[in-house]
Amino acid sequence: MGEYKAVTIAAGKGGWGGPLTILPTDKKKYVYSVTGGGIHPVAQRIADMTGGVPFDGFKSSVPFDEIAVAVIDCGGTARVGVYPMKKVLTVDIHATSPAGPLAQFITKELFVSGVKPDDVKEA
Amino acid sequence: MADQQNNAKVVYQSTVTAVGELVSDFRDQGLLVWFGENAPSELHEFSILHKVEHQERAPIPGDVIEINSDRFTVLAAGSVSSDNLLNLGHLDLKANGLTEAELPGDVNVEVCELPMVKVGDTLKVIAASN
Repeated sequence: MGEYKAVTIAAGKGGWGGPLTILPTDKKKYVYSVTGGGIHPVAQRIADMTGGVPFDGFKSSVPFDEIAVAVIDCGGTARVGVYPMKKVLTVDIHATSPAGPLAQFITKELFVSGVKPDDVKEA
Repeated sequence: MADQQNNAKVVYQSTVTAVGELVSDFRDQGLLVWFGENAPSELHEFSILHKVEHQERAPIPGDVIEINSDRFTVLAAGSVSSDNLLNLGHLDLKANGLTEAELPGDVNVEVCELPMVKVGDTLKVIAASN
């Protein structure tokens, strides 16, 4: 059994949504980085602080129901809605607001944007 | 085939390897979403997956985006669109006629009907001139 701690993530400058509380569990332990260039620093920080397991979505995959949080670097159209649509808590490092074909799924309860590492705080 | 036009330089070229089921719906909304082949599976449904053959840089205003023989002039390119394309093969191509990107990932071209894309089609970005 892993030991996990909760973090709170508020919207960064110009961002939208949240705050989200992330608490991984043994069944939902993955911090999913769907970003260019490997595990994003925001995803790494969430993993470090919560005890969750970081992984790179461009290299491997896990089932959605095992994802504690998805970290994306979406410019506002596609990825921004995919994970909220699947009810996965979603952190966008870019300061986007609900838009694009999947905008209807993006809610403050599921999504927060404009997040930098310092916006991830102990709950 | 190499581009034959004078003063035209291909700065990006790729070949389509898969087309998701929802791509035609997105196309009807004036949007084509592209990703590299290693994009996670949940993105495949609405994406055109493509394999890069050549990349020097991402599109900037004034460039031409060519999909097979259809040509579109780039009007705007959002602040993260270059990183998206070069790192992830990701492009949000929007036929919205806007000269400023509404979203940081957008690459805008004129208002037009975007083509039906199929496996084997070619995407090129052509620099206007040198």
